[in-house]
Amino acid sequence: MTRFKTLLLREWMQHRFGWLVLMGLPFVLFAAVALFGQAQIQLDDSEEPMALTVAGGIVLGVIATTLVLAWGASLLQTPGLARRDAQDRSVEFWLSLPAGHAQSIGTTLLAHLILLPVAALGVGLVGGLIVSLPVVTHAFGVGAWFALPWAKLLVAFAAVTLRLALGVVLATLWLSPLILVTMAASAWLKRWGIPAVAAVFGLGGLLLDRLYGNAVVWNVLGGLVQQASRALIATERHGEMAFAIERQADIPALLSHAAAWCALDAGHALAMLASPAFLAAIAVAAGAFALLVLRRQRGS
Amino acid sequence: MSSAAPLIEARGLGVHFRAKRAVDDVGFTIAPGRVVGLLGHNGAGKTSLMKALVGLLPYEGTLSVLGLEPRRQRVQLLESLCYIPDVAILPRWARVDQLIRLMQGLHPKFDAARAETLLTRTSVRLSDRVKALSKGMVVQLHLALVAAIDARVMILDEPTLGLDVISRKAFYEMLIDEWCDGERSVIVSTHQVEEIETLLSDVMMLNEGRLVLSISLEEMDRRFVALSHDAAEADAMAAAHPLLRYRTPDGAAALFDGTPPDAVLARGRRVRPSLVDLFIALTRAPEITPPSLRS
Repeated sequence: MTRFKTLLLREWMQHRFGWLVLMGLPFVLFAAVALFGQAQIQLDDSEEPMALTVAGGIVLGVIATTLVLAWGASLLQTPGLARRDAQDRSVEFWLSLPAGHAQSIGTTLLAHLILLPVAALGVGLVGGLIVSLPVVTHAFGVGAWFALPWAKLLVAFAAVTLRLALGVVLATLWLSPLILVTMAASAWLKRWGIPAVAAVFGLGGLLLDRLYGNAVVWNVLGGLVQQASRALIATERHGEMAFAIERQADIPALLSHAAAWCALDAGHALAMLASPAFLAAIAVAAGAFALLVLRRQRGS
Repeated sequence: MSSAAPLIEARGLGVHFRAKRAVDDVGFTIAPGRVVGLLGHNGAGKTSLMKALVGLLPYEGTLSVLGLEPRRQRVQLLESLCYIPDVAILPRWARVDQLIRLMQGLHPKFDAARAETLLTRTSVRLSDRVKALSKGMVVQLHLALVAAIDARVMILDEPTLGLDVISRKAFYEMLIDEWCDGERSVIVSTHQVEEIETLLSDVMMLNEGRLVLSISLEEMDRRFVALSHDAAEADAMAAAHPLLRYRTPDGAAALFDGTPPDAVLARGRRVRPSLVDLFIALTRAPEITPPSLRS
């Protein structure tokens, strides 16, 4: 356990500056706009915005922006992670230490693909709550912010944040074949890794589709992305909206049901794992992970 | 090399590096408390052999390091063995104190206080970043980190390559003074043979992947005879089939495997053969390597 925590500490030491920037940037931008900007809040012609709507929108907006930025950056970086230590020539130092290959790679993936986005959710939640104060105060006066139904709001925000945290884990699992195959290609083929993956999936898919009318590649890729998206959070399942907001007056009631809805949606997302498609995705990801371990065993 | 229970034992060891057979049918043992110089030309197989010893390359044959099988038990082995693979391989983004913290968490036998004590004898500060250090300082740092591990074997692959003479001297002083205790063993490969000759207890020479010599320095002095001689005796010396004929500051010399006949001995003055001369004699060309040394 000490070794595992130390490997995580290494990720933090090496990447903390970038991570802090990624997680702090949305908060700083939203805060700057709230404090110094001239943003105008307008919902539609018939309704005046409520403080609750504005606060909720701001908090969810900061959470979503922080998550998208941190997670997106992590996903884009993963091919480079495969060769990170080889590129700065420190790989032999790490290999000279008593840490297992699978443990080392697994910790890196865990830190970048799971812990960073989950931490970003937390930072986004706290940042959103802080930013909501000047925004609501600016529009409605300081009393409006304190008059918000905080008990219900905090429960709802916590539920959504936890649902998204689970969603990040599940969506990453759904996307893991794509992530790990790209990493393995990068580890083995170096700078040709990403072009090779793009060529295999892109050209391969195109050839199969055009020459043989077989859209299997597009279907698989599209299916993985769709399942990942549903695993993250889904407002609609089986063609039915889980909830609808037609008027601002619907929002207080919605807040009361947010936790229950998040729990239900989490159950749906977990149930999606019990499928042959998920098992196949995990099998491919495990194969790609084995290739990464093999590459590291060989000293690069 | 010694009758004590060996720390490292290899039999019929073969290692491939890419398509090349880098180490071929090598056998040796290393006892506790030895400082072994691993000598060989570039591409002779030194790095491949060392990587096999620490479980970083697959191999054929039998290999036991500290009673463990390196490839299968690499993590367990590295808890009692430390390895410096090359200069300037410490992560450049890290600060010295961060490296100490990481080593403490990753290595169960690492003593952070000892590492800090060793570093006080260098010009490296805890707050320094690796990328801000000179090559010599990085090597000093690496050795301080590794010397703070309570290991039984240290493997050093060209640890002072590219360093100036002062840094090289400081490195070996720290190694001998702070790490070697008569029980721990070191295997060091280097091209600066003259500089470490006095530190070594044993020498292993690789040529084209084959082990052409594995011997203690005491035994080397007994077995190999160098005769310094006048130019007029050159033909007589050549007729005795020396391993190597070379020049010394005192004139010509010939190196023999074993004691040459008395008639030849009488024509020269016995001098101590240097490791460099022996290395050249045994590795310069396969056709002059005597059959007795071909395994």
